Amino acid sequence: MVPLLLVMLSVIGWPFIDTVRLSFTDARLVGAGGDFVGAANYQRIFASTAFWRAFFVTTEFAVVSVFVEVVLGVLVALLLYQNFRGRNILRALLILPWALPTVVNALLWRLIYNPEYGALNAMLVQTGLLDDYRSWLGDPNSALVALIIADAWKNFPLVALISLAALHAVPHDIKAAAVVDGANALSRFRYVILPYLVGPLMVALILRTIEAFKVFDIIWVMTRGGPANSTRTLSILVYQEAFSFQRAGSGASLALIVTLAVTMLAVAYAALIRKSAGARF
Amino acid sequence: MSTLDLIGVSKSYGITEILTSIDISLASGEFLVLLGASGCGKSTILNIIAGLLSPTSGEIRIDGKRINEVHPKNRDIAMVFQSYALYPNLTVERNIGFGLEMRGVGKAERQAAIVKVARILKIDGLLDRKPAQLSGGQRQRVAIGRALVREPKIFLFDEPLSNLDAKLRMEMRAELKRLHRMLGTTVVYVTHDQIEAMTLATRIAVMREGQIEQIGTPEEIYNRPATAFVAEFVGAPPMNMIDATLDADGLQLEGSGQRIGLPGKRGRSRQVILGLRPEDLHIADASDELVIGATVDFAEPTGPDIIVFARHGGNPLVASLPSHLQIDPESQTRFSFSIENMHIFDRATGQRIEP
Repeated sequence: MVPLLLVMLSVIGWPFIDTVRLSFTDARLVGAGGDFVGAANYQRIFASTAFWRAFFVTTEFAVVSVFVEVVLGVLVALLLYQNFRGRNILRALLILPWALPTVVNALLWRLIYNPEYGALNAMLVQTGLLDDYRSWLGDPNSALVALIIADAWKNFPLVALISLAALHAVPHDIKAAAVVDGANALSRFRYVILPYLVGPLMVALILRTIEAFKVFDIIWVMTRGGPANSTRTLSILVYQEAFSFQRAGSGASLALIVTLAVTMLAVAYAALIRKSAGARF
Repeated sequence: MSTLDLIGVSKSYGITEILTSIDISLASGEFLVLLGASGCGKSTILNIIAGLLSPTSGEIRIDGKRINEVHPKNRDIAMVFQSYALYPNLTVERNIGFGLEMRGVGKAERQAAIVKVARILKIDGLLDRKPAQLSGGQRQRVAIGRALVREPKIFLFDEPLSNLDAKLRMEMRAELKRLHRMLGTTVVYVTHDQIEAMTLATRIAVMREGQIEQIGTPEEIYNRPATAFVAEFVGAPPMNMIDATLDADGLQLEGSGQRIGLPGKRGRSRQVILGLRPEDLHIADASDELVIGATVDFAEPTGPDIIVFARHGGNPLVASLPSHLQIDPESQTRFSFSIENMHIFDRATGQRIEP
């Protein structure tokens, strides 16, 4: 136990403590400095519009993409739960988007959204839904939505897989009993399937929300936070502050704020799970 | 109160035949038990009657009307499952009333029906609990309540007591019998437990490999089994089966070569199995004519009886005797039996033969 504890303390504990220390200084990434400035970094961050804008962009990204993933995931799981020819092939294909590395997925969608030869433009123009090619990622009004779609496409399979496993856990007898009792498809979903789905879905929801709140790579590859900072999430802001502007001190403060927000999310969700687990069965 | 007819019902998956031409005709108020080992197709019959499976061929009729194409919910059938199949997230009250709720029965009417059924089943104190808070026996009562409350034409039970312990099983068996007496609804009941079958049924269908071996009253099944399979399957300890040759004058037992003379004359000799129930064997005295000799291995007292395990010409022979008798191991014992308690089956076909 003791050696393990030492390793843990040195690789997790020390960097964390040093980040906390840094966050109260005006340290820069290179060169001199690093004087204690008290809570000045935090005060500046909470007073800045850039922080609040990034906070809302992050929240929007997380809430919308997770919502889309859960709805799409459950629907696809219900579909793949049915018995039909080719079901197993489709189930195997389902994992593909999720198995893609995030960067590959981001590059793939950048190609799809490309303003000159992107597949999305081609499809929309050829079907007459759009008059001219558009720069989906270059327009502040569409960039975030485009990112959400790309992220949801990659991550809904996780929710679908978890839901599918949960669907298979519903006892056959209970489904049969509901049929004999005269429940229609909607009632069967509401009273028989959903109770078995809620617990696993909660886990998926937590995982995905926390991940979405920390999102960095897909945005960095596709838009770098632009255009006009319309897709700059908190993690991008932390990166820019710490590395682009080389302000290690305030970068550390920002990073700690994000960490705190994610931890609060996790704690709230965990409480919710405990509550719903007690209430359900 | 409804009649139920299965006419030539078969079910197969690809080339695997699960049921082969099942014919059953039930009068209103009958209690039919489908008895058989697991995998014999008895639950498949139940699922076909409920509409959860469709037969490959054949017809199902309730009150003379074909219902093959009728959706399960419109068949007016209630089913009780082995696993109870209660909705884990709903209270006992809503579990019982679920079928009525789904059929759009008003709240007041539903409430009255639930309370009435809960009283009958003595679960009226548990209505606001969730299934997880109930014992096995209580869950079983709720599952039965859910079936009762709808006042269906036919009840289907799929091994409803097999998850209960022995004492509860006996209690619930008596309860089911009482309910059937009270309601008089037609019942189809699946079990592999012959005691349940014998005690509950007005008729038993013994099944084997997707076919009905014999259908009859419990007395017929027990006293005049139609095949060697039925004879061995029903009864505990099982019937003694001794290979023999049936000829003009009587039986010659294999192994020991002992002869048992039978009245009347028969034609050509044939290979048969002689079946003797353990409880039909008695300790012989000098005047007995039908006697079989055996060496006792050991004896097991069960309380009211003593089960004697013996050997006759290398074949095992089990006798159930009154417990006051003293039976010593390794003793030579002569067992007597009467001609009306003999069962003879053709060894090739397994069919019953009247000697």
